[in-house]
Amino acid sequence: MLGTDVLNTTEKTNQIGRRGFLVTSAGGLSLGFFLPGFSRLNEIEAEPLSTVDGTQINAWIKIGVDESITVTVGAAEMGQGSMSSLPQIVAEELMVDYAKVSALQAPASQAYVTAGSGTVRNQYLPLRRAGAAARELLIQAAMNLLGGARTDYSVTNGIVTNTKTNASVSYGQLAPAAALLPVPPITATWPPLVPDSEFKLIGKALPRLDIPSKTNGSAVFGLDVRVPGMVYAVIKHCPAFGGTLAQLPAKPAGALAVVATSVIPASARGSEIAGNYNAVAVVATNTWDAWQIAKQLKVSWNIPASSSGIDSAAFQSQAQTLMSNGTPYIAEKVGDPMTALAGSAKMIDVSYSLPYVAHACMEVLNCTVNLTPTSCEVWAPTQGAGIVVSTVTAVTGLPASQVTVHTTYLGGGLGRKIEQDYIAQAIQVAKAVGKPVKLMWTREEDFSRDQYRPMALIRGRAGLDSSGNIVSWIYRNVSPSILAQRGRVLPATGDSQATEAATALPYNFGARTTEYVVHPSPVPIGFWRSVGASLNTFAVESMMDELAQFAGEDPYQFRRNRLTDPRWIAVLDAAAQLGGWGTPLPAGRARGIAISKAFNSIVAEVFEISQPALGSITIHKVACAIDCGRPVNPDSIKAQMQGGIVHGINATLWGQQTFKAGAAVSKNFNRSRMMRMSEMPQISVTILPPNPNVPIGGIGEPAVPPVAPALANAYAKLTGQRIRNLPFFPNATMGGL
Amino acid sequence: MATLALNVNGKNYNVTVSNPDMPLLWVLRDLIGLTGTKYGCGIEVCGACTILIDGQREHSCVFNASSAVGKKIVTIEGLSPDGSHPVQQAWIEHQVPQCGFCQSGMIMSCAGAIQAGHTGANEIMSEVKNLCVCGTYQRIREAIQSL
Repeated sequence: MLGTDVLNTTEKTNQIGRRGFLVTSAGGLSLGFFLPGFSRLNEIEAEPLSTVDGTQINAWIKIGVDESITVTVGAAEMGQGSMSSLPQIVAEELMVDYAKVSALQAPASQAYVTAGSGTVRNQYLPLRRAGAAARELLIQAAMNLLGGARTDYSVTNGIVTNTKTNASVSYGQLAPAAALLPVPPITATWPPLVPDSEFKLIGKALPRLDIPSKTNGSAVFGLDVRVPGMVYAVIKHCPAFGGTLAQLPAKPAGALAVVATSVIPASARGSEIAGNYNAVAVVATNTWDAWQIAKQLKVSWNIPASSSGIDSAAFQSQAQTLMSNGTPYIAEKVGDPMTALAGSAKMIDVSYSLPYVAHACMEVLNCTVNLTPTSCEVWAPTQGAGIVVSTVTAVTGLPASQVTVHTTYLGGGLGRKIEQDYIAQAIQVAKAVGKPVKLMWTREEDFSRDQYRPMALIRGRAGLDSSGNIVSWIYRNVSPSILAQRGRVLPATGDSQATEAATALPYNFGARTTEYVVHPSPVPIGFWRSVGASLNTFAVESMMDELAQFAGEDPYQFRRNRLTDPRWIAVLDAAAQLGGWGTPLPAGRARGIAISKAFNSIVAEVFEISQPALGSITIHKVACAIDCGRPVNPDSIKAQMQGGIVHGINATLWGQQTFKAGAAVSKNFNRSRMMRMSEMPQISVTILPPNPNVPIGGIGEPAVPPVAPALANAYAKLTGQRIRNLPFFPNATMGGL
Repeated sequence: MATLALNVNGKNYNVTVSNPDMPLLWVLRDLIGLTGTKYGCGIEVCGACTILIDGQREHSCVFNASSAVGKKIVTIEGLSPDGSHPVQQAWIEHQVPQCGFCQSGMIMSCAGAIQAGHTGANEIMSEVKNLCVCGTYQRIREAIQSL
């Protein structure tokens, strides 16, 4: 494993920008550098990084004397393809074939939080500079060996050639000498980057490195980790939120142990208070035995009276009250929208609601821990290995230097696997039993104890003048705040994640305001693929359609006529064209359109639907256009658009978690319907050309937000009925196979 | 306690279980160590645990281990010696998996449908109903159509 262990001999540092730097290390060329982590979550949970001379390192390129090229990847691979896209970027600058580069999952000290569709977009330039710096050091080593000037040299797939003498030498041969060279200061001209016009790999659809292992059973997910001497634990939470263990039950026959687990401060959310023993873990020699014993185990819980208030009907009524009486944060305000509304020719006043939704990753939460008095080793499907180190430190008191975290493949992350509840439980169980332990949540626990996407109630008022111009836009979102629930004091603009995609909208609005009211939630909430954008885009883009209808304009043209930013117009046009907007449809079909910007990427989608029977719809086609600034791997982008659209469809049509008497109602997939293959529409994707003048955008999340409004807009066109409350079909169930 | 003689991927295993009703899924994963077969729901809704027993597609999360004695069990690890089964190859060619967690079950369902004599893309597709939360269905469809 690469890391600080290779930093033994010659270490030389240079700054790359404000916080970045390069350092070489001998024994082959190891080039360490800093990749900026994604700051959104770092704001609330600091991640430790290894340091050299006080400078941070979190990534390495290693060129071995055996010609191997390894890139440590500090991102978690949860299906988004980062583990392949990062080496793809490095290979471009190293001027080697993609096939020559392998990826290695970084240890926690070099991991960064994998969230916010941030991996590629945050690391694109630093990785290119790092790859280019390695290449230039290797060329310098060749010059020292073979003579001549830099301009005499070319590189082809890791072979450095003096084009005057035709003498060649390989990266592997040059690596030891290159490692001893001083690294020049990073400037605008050094290291020279491959010009965009000469890209051979960036922008090319390349196969992902992890896929073969995901077709033969060899990919190791968290749940697949096996450690010698390991025992198995299954968690059983208090059936009601807010409840605590009254008495630890005696160890039943067949169990190795029953362990009480408590909420750590970093995982305290809503009614789940730090220090509360809210679960027991049953430990046995295999998962099934532990699960069956846990099922039978009678546990006495203290359930506070307040738990009965955890009830979906009560939440709805609280939201209504807060909509009228709550004190709002003002996220954005321009002009005097109330006066403008009063003076408008026509106005709409509509409300939308969205439910709590579980993440429902295919792989349930799990974590494996081997704890000794002087060390702790953790294997986990985690989006934040660095945060796991802090969790271990908090639970065990061990210093970070005695903690090792292995990030496994994630069977879906979706924002849930940034959390530490399941990690902390596994560590507590390992501490109690004195053996390596793998802790698993059953699917029922996974649905019942999620940190859900927050619910939202949104009221929108807008006024049109007699020409159809939007002269007033008044928007108020009442929803639980993820950041406030985690103890953050919100600024005067509120929770920026809750109002994401409801501010800085591109349309020509006149006077406008976006307000946010915190709805305190006893239910733990968290980051769900695309976060606030998935809530607000439903309301904003539904409202735009309602206004279009009100104005008597085509919904695509209505939007287009109120946009000025050429990027938004280009994306909207591309989706409309791909979706055949305005072309004749078979009888009984309708189209809907929506657009949004999230994580620096603009995505527009056109849905084509029909309604074969009441209570269902058929989605025939989806056209999707994305401008992500700089496409790195178009095939991965297409995969993320397809996947994000399916994710959005599941949430829009069927997704919700409801609560009754303190507990979640849906406990498995049979009560949480999702799309099956026979229902899959044909999704076509257009990726807009690279634009060097805009920041690179993310791809993992931005396809989700436009789905709900595009579907609601198509449904309104088809049936004349406007769906303002999600999901479309709240009572749907899913049959067996 | 019971000891069961199982044949998995052509190899014989004697496994001791606390209860002969233990689902095959947990015998495979925890007792034998073949972790390619996945737990997803435990109630036969998702199909992540799909394996072949005497050539039939079965959901190992509810298939009692004792009922598999004397039968030929094939898991994703044993579908081909080297990942060369046409379904596996099609999955790679069409870059199907995202997170990959459901794909063992998907591939086993698809390979099992073909082994059961289903032919033609539409017929095979109608047999593969497993759940994929990542939404890889379009690529699965393309992979099956290429077979």
